[in-house]
Amino acid sequence: MTTETLSPTRERSRTSNRLRAMMTQENLITFVVAIIVAGAVIVPLAVLFVSSFKVLDPLGWDTAWGFGNYVEMFTDRIIPKAFINTLIISSGSTVLATFLGVSLAWINARTNCPGRDYLEPYNLIPFFLSPFVGAIAWHNLGEPQTGLLNNLARDVLGIEGAIMNIDNIWGVIWVTGIFFAPLVYLFVVGSLRRMDPSLEDSARTTGAGLVRTTMTVTLPLVMPGILSGAIIVFVTSAGEFGVPFKLSAPYGWETLTTQIFSKAVGDDANHYLGAAMSMALGIITVFLIWVQQRYIAPRSFTTVTGKGFRPNVLDLGPWKWVAFGYNLTFIAVAVVLPIVCLIIVSLHPVWTGKIVWADLTTINYVKTLFWWRPEAISAATNGIGNSLILAFGGASIAMVMALVISYMIHRTKGFGVRMLDFLSVVPIGFPGIVLAMGVLVTYIQTPIYATLWILMLAYITRFFPYGQRNISSIMLAISEELDQSSRMAGASWFTTLWRITIPLLKPGLFAGWILLFIIFLRELSISIILFTTGTETLSVGVYYLTNFENEPLTAALSMAQTVLLLIAIYAFRRFAGREALTA
Amino acid sequence: MAVDTSGAYLQVDNLVKYFGDDKAVDGISFGIPKGAFLTLLGPSGCGKTTTLMSIAGLHTIDGGRIRVGETIFTSPKEGLFLPPEKRDIGMVFQSYAIWPHMTVAQNVAYPLEIRNWDQSDIDDRVAEVLELVGLTDWADSLATNLSGGQQQRASLARAIVSKPSLLLFDEPLSNLDLKLREQMRVELKRIQNEVGITSIYVTHDQSEALVMSDEIIVMSKGKIEQRGGPVEIYSKPVNEYVSNFIGIANLMKGKVVEVSEPGIGKFEVTQDGQTVQLPCRLTAGIAAGEDAVLSVRPENVHAVPEGGGGVLTGECIHAIFLGSYVDCRVKWGDFEWKVISHPRNHPRTGEKVHLRFDAEHTLAVQP
Ligand SMILES: Nc1ncnc2c1ncn2[C@@H]1O[C@H](COP(=O)(O)OP(=O)(O)OP(=O)(O)O)[C@@H](O)[C@H]1O
Ligand SMILES: [Mg+2]
Repeated sequence: MTTETLSPTRERSRTSNRLRAMMTQENLITFVVAIIVAGAVIVPLAVLFVSSFKVLDPLGWDTAWGFGNYVEMFTDRIIPKAFINTLIISSGSTVLATFLGVSLAWINARTNCPGRDYLEPYNLIPFFLSPFVGAIAWHNLGEPQTGLLNNLARDVLGIEGAIMNIDNIWGVIWVTGIFFAPLVYLFVVGSLRRMDPSLEDSARTTGAGLVRTTMTVTLPLVMPGILSGAIIVFVTSAGEFGVPFKLSAPYGWETLTTQIFSKAVGDDANHYLGAAMSMALGIITVFLIWVQQRYIAPRSFTTVTGKGFRPNVLDLGPWKWVAFGYNLTFIAVAVVLPIVCLIIVSLHPVWTGKIVWADLTTINYVKTLFWWRPEAISAATNGIGNSLILAFGGASIAMVMALVISYMIHRTKGFGVRMLDFLSVVPIGFPGIVLAMGVLVTYIQTPIYATLWILMLAYITRFFPYGQRNISSIMLAISEELDQSSRMAGASWFTTLWRITIPLLKPGLFAGWILLFIIFLRELSISIILFTTGTETLSVGVYYLTNFENEPLTAALSMAQTVLLLIAIYAFRRFAGREALTA
Repeated sequence: MAVDTSGAYLQVDNLVKYFGDDKAVDGISFGIPKGAFLTLLGPSGCGKTTTLMSIAGLHTIDGGRIRVGETIFTSPKEGLFLPPEKRDIGMVFQSYAIWPHMTVAQNVAYPLEIRNWDQSDIDDRVAEVLELVGLTDWADSLATNLSGGQQQRASLARAIVSKPSLLLFDEPLSNLDLKLREQMRVELKRIQNEVGITSIYVTHDQSEALVMSDEIIVMSKGKIEQRGGPVEIYSKPVNEYVSNFIGIANLMKGKVVEVSEPGIGKFEVTQDGQTVQLPCRLTAGIAAGEDAVLSVRPENVHAVPEGGGGVLTGECIHAIFLGSYVDCRVKWGDFEWKVISHPRNHPRTGEKVHLRFDAEHTLAVQP
């Protein structure tokens, strides 16, 4: 054997090797996909960044470069308050959602609470429904004059005045906290379920009681999951538009999102100031998501042993009925009560807070759904069609993209893979309304503005990472050798993808598709920035009705959306597993 | 260097592969004749899989050239790279890689479908191959219902079904338990003999390599340490690394003091003030006066009575009865000799022992 020194030729041969390697089928596709994704993700954010330094003159005619928008954010009459309100709402919702999510997950995973397996799917329902619709329902439940609960309290219990007022910052925290509790639940329930029971048992043998064991052993072990969930809730609450728009903004508590919205459309629209505010919101959320992805998420796997043993659950004794009641109460408050309220309100011609049996009517459904009828309100009836197109088309395109990207990331070592990996985390860090602002300022002068395409583009850009994660988790679990052996059998890259990879990924593809379908069907904060007459979505229709029409009409369309979502959730439960729910 | 002048069927020249800045394969060259069974043997991380993957085309290489028959598979310098599916190779993976969404027969038929065979020909050929590997009864079961050994057979069937020009095995038996592994070794070799396809087999299990191969290449850190037949590799390791890796050997540092005729000389070792000279064979390239390593297999060291030709004296510190032989350790200074003795006549713990060495099997190798 001879050894020739390769060092002089090494660099050159590696470079030419790189060039030649770039010409293969998969590398070309990676490159093209990376460029498309980079364009979709980076361009709007870059334009947003640049726009935030354009200052509109007082007459609104001309712009100059400068930091004026950022200065205005501190000197404005409303924005600094909106900032603080956003922080209060996000913190409050995070505390509430974390408490609810962790306690419910613990009850379901670690105790002998009756009917656990039966309760779980219902605990998760709020995760799939629209928080905006939840806010509308709770407005009709807890408004001092017309709220159903307040009226019941007056009529049945004979209480003077109102037992609650939902229309304030606390109401926002209440609704947001309830709706995002399942997020925390999903982050911790898996670890709790898979936790090695001997860890708890050994604490018990040292004499620690149930409460003490839970506090000192169980919860610390799942702390990374809890923190991850809490951060995601904080970020999602900060980017939530519908709930503060309905419950607090009209009563003097503006938030960053409602302010961004008013700068995007409204009479005093100022896209550049809106861009600066979006940047501010985006920087906070990106930072938090970065902390979560970089430092917290990786740790959640190391604390838990993954072996498939059946942990024995804690016997709560008679307290199990307390746990059961607590869980039922959550489902009642988060799911049943709002839906029942919407149904009741939607059947009244006008809503005064009292059920009037004689007046019940279906006219609200006719006006909001039956587009062929003369009395139909087009802003509402357009919504279903548009949302279904966006949900079907968007979910399908996004899943194809997610498939290609996952494949690239996990199966090829090609050029641009690192960038793809990075790009598919970035959108998670930006609230929909921020990305939508970027898309707005980027494409407002182009022909796709004022079409459904701009909505679809923004939807896909913001949400394809969720689909991608669904596929990636499965792809990580199936051996690369399954693909490689197909190549060795003589199949090309594409044939392998079609005959081996995709069939193996089917469950993940399907779960991801329905998840995106659901998200798109209820999407509000992107749509509200980018819609125009004719491209209203379901949630925009609800927005229109609650803003310009009355509560019964709003409730009717909200119910229509909720029913569609419930059907999709059923399909999701039926065909995908709960494993698919990795947020 | 051998720039492809050999009549070898598969020729690898100066293969180099980097991962980042790490050289996983560092310029190795070898050729094999048609129909041969070559094993790449080495410890974990030495670059065996990387070499195999380079031949398969599952990753690109950074330097060198790979040729099979008349076809150049890859040669970065010439800008040549044949995609894996065009290389006509059968490959058996460590994880078997049986597709779980297909039956055994569908798995085996796949390569033929890709080659657009007629359905009736496919059926005949699949039946024939399943018969060969003994899976006829399992043709229609889902691959996931098979045991490890059966999946291995299915994987082998899929690899050979299209009569490829080359068969590659990446530690195919390492997921099986010991009994099954020993049985499959023989089986695999039988099938390879029967189909006569040139094969490269990767393993870190030396006994597997010794049993199955026509030729063995011992690798370490991306380089070839030695190449030869199983007997040669075992009885004439060229350096300390190989003799340590293959089988068990007594390895002791020392010096060659005399070369009496080519390949034969004397080796001097010092321990505890005792200096002993042992007649030995010399690996090519070792000259008198050089530092070297003495390598003697335990079966070539004998405990003998006083006056029985022993050259050094130590103390037996343990003797363990292992059925057909007794495994003894003889302490000589700081060094412990591993000695194999006959159960009927072996030293006892604590006894003084004289050791005799078979000059024929006492080797001085490169350190
Ligand atoms: N895809 C990869 N990326 C980076 N480094 C790699 C990759 N594959 C292999 N290596 C490195 O290259 C070296 C050789 O790896 P290789 O897989 O060829 O070893 P091996 O001899 O097959 O070992 P084993 O017996 O463990 O399979 C190792 O140091 C390994 O860490
Ligand atoms: Mg390997």
